[in-house]
Amino acid sequence: MKKFAFFPGCVLEGSAKEALDATIKVAAALEIELVEIPGWTCCGASHVQDMDPMAALAINARNMALAEKMGLPILTVCNTCTLMLRQAKSALDGDDRLKEKVNRVIASGGYEYVGFSDITHLLWVLAEDTAFWQRRISRPLTGTKVAAYYGCHILRPQKIMNFEDSANPRSLETVIRAVGAEPVDFPDKLQCCGFHAFWTAEKDAVFLTGKHVDNAVKAGADMMATPCPLCQMQLDMYQPEGRQAVHSTAEIPVLHLAQLIGLGLGFSPAELGINRHVSAASKVMLNQ
Amino acid sequence: MPTMTFTIRRFVEAKSFSRDYSFEYMAGNTVLDGLIFIKEKLDPSLAFTASCRNGVCGACALRVNGQAVLACETAIESLAARYHSARLTIAPLGNFTVLRDLVVDWQPKLDRMKQVKPWLIPQDAFSADTGCRQSQTDFDKIRGYTDCILCGACVSECSKLAADSADFLEPFAFVKAQKYVADSRDDAPLKHLDPAIQAGLWRCMHCEECTAKCPKSLDPAEDIAKLRVMAFKKAMVNSAGAQHAQAFYEDINDIGRLNEAKLAIRTDGIMKSLTRVGLAYRLMKVDKLDPFHLPEPIKNISKVQKILKAAKEADKS
Ligand code: SF4
Ligand code: SF4
Ligand code: FES
Repeated sequence: MKKFAFFPGCVLEGSAKEALDATIKVAAALEIELVEIPGWTCCGASHVQDMDPMAALAINARNMALAEKMGLPILTVCNTCTLMLRQAKSALDGDDRLKEKVNRVIASGGYEYVGFSDITHLLWVLAEDTAFWQRRISRPLTGTKVAAYYGCHILRPQKIMNFEDSANPRSLETVIRAVGAEPVDFPDKLQCCGFHAFWTAEKDAVFLTGKHVDNAVKAGADMMATPCPLCQMQLDMYQPEGRQAVHSTAEIPVLHLAQLIGLGLGFSPAELGINRHVSAASKVMLNQ
Repeated sequence: MPTMTFTIRRFVEAKSFSRDYSFEYMAGNTVLDGLIFIKEKLDPSLAFTASCRNGVCGACALRVNGQAVLACETAIESLAARYHSARLTIAPLGNFTVLRDLVVDWQPKLDRMKQVKPWLIPQDAFSADTGCRQSQTDFDKIRGYTDCILCGACVSECSKLAADSADFLEPFAFVKAQKYVADSRDDAPLKHLDPAIQAGLWRCMHCEECTAKCPKSLDPAEDIAKLRVMAFKKAMVNSAGAQHAQAFYEDINDIGRLNEAKLAIRTDGIMKSLTRVGLAYRLMKVDKLDPFHLPEPIKNISKVQKILKAAKEADKS
């Protein structure tokens, strides 16, 4: 039995609720115990450091301090949450004076950061050791071609994330194979979805969406899968605009990692909230 | 000796094609050694640039399997191990105009970089007699920036440049801007910051490709964040990007978490948000957006507020 302090992140409470439902179902089925960190806050979402870097550090020091009280390593299901937390951890653990300073800041709320909680992502837990869960795959996705879309923040910067080689990662392909599906290589798999610049560079973000989706379909994929709910949103919600931007007709379902595993575990698409997707949700239904 | 095949993307007189070159290599041979061997023994028509062969001049950056590296610093055996392959695709840097084969056009990039005035604008107090003195602590804040060798590796996979380079500068230009904004001897940080804002500071996608690729361990993405912090300090916040960052900060302060339903209006303003009604409808249809969902504050929100206040104070000290 694996047990983690669970950091769901904001979008799983809002527009990516289906990812939360799928994560909870899949974790239970795989006997991964997730205990939600009580009172966690937003990780800063890669924006808060632009306004107040000390605040960004302090809120994540608090998040980690809460997990330390639980005596558990942190598990997230969002690339950006993982990066924000690990970035704060690496800054604090690497600089005693900074750590003291930040500890003085969070002491105002009664917290202390020590630094013994590790931060991992569901993808890493699943890829590190497939043996503990692969045998539970009751409905392998045999013959389904899945384009592995990593997203940025689970890979880069290498020195912070460091689970695997950021130029040639294997974890997502490992997991796709373990559910019985076939990973499809496509040129965009390590590229950015543009989500974080959606408000400032909308046409570029939409163009990237169109390009990634088009290339995944051209590579013969039946679906895309991503460990990041932000990538999922960008690639799913904006396919209509994306198609226009790159003059393509490509339409493809984009699954959250937990949904992919969930299908293999025998959950129906509806149970995994795939009906809440904007693009090509029905194509997932047909495959089942 | 093991054999390696380079599939080289060639570009000669407006014609693009790929050509394979196989050769034997020894431990320690670099990609540049491979290219030199090809040029000397197999195909003298191959064009590439390199000078120092020692990671100093920045001339030899190119793409291996789609990822920018310095050819002179990258061992063939490490790439063979990374990709489990005896074949590598060698291409010119991305987001550059190719002149021939692996040679790219730097002139437009250097011209664009000038927008941020990448030079010291000295304070009036300095003179030819007394010089531009600086404390060790202040010097330490900027010394790392001189490591940039203008190799262009940070440019190659930049997501924003790949989508559109017309309204965004190369990552290294932001590094230069931050270098002078951070220099205590500079008299006019705004003369660097303002053009950086005009040239897309808030359009960076935060993809970290630049930081991942820099062979000198510089961190262009972090410098972009530092420039944004300075924009806040100088109250230059009249942009969607700054409003967006502020919206996140305020949500954390108010309820601890993001309030998605309000985000669009606070980032874009009411008018522009109305143009997104079609999207909102699409999202509501699948229950992705609930305009009536008003998240409750987390239980210990007052503690979070205290922390944010203390963070502000700590920043001043
Ligand atoms: S982080 Fe910004 S500057 Fe760096 S590569 Fe990505 S988009 Fe370009
Ligand atoms: S910042 Fe790094 S990658 Fe970019 S030009 Fe300078 S040395 Fe090269
Ligand atoms: S040849 Fe000078 S950096 Fe590679």
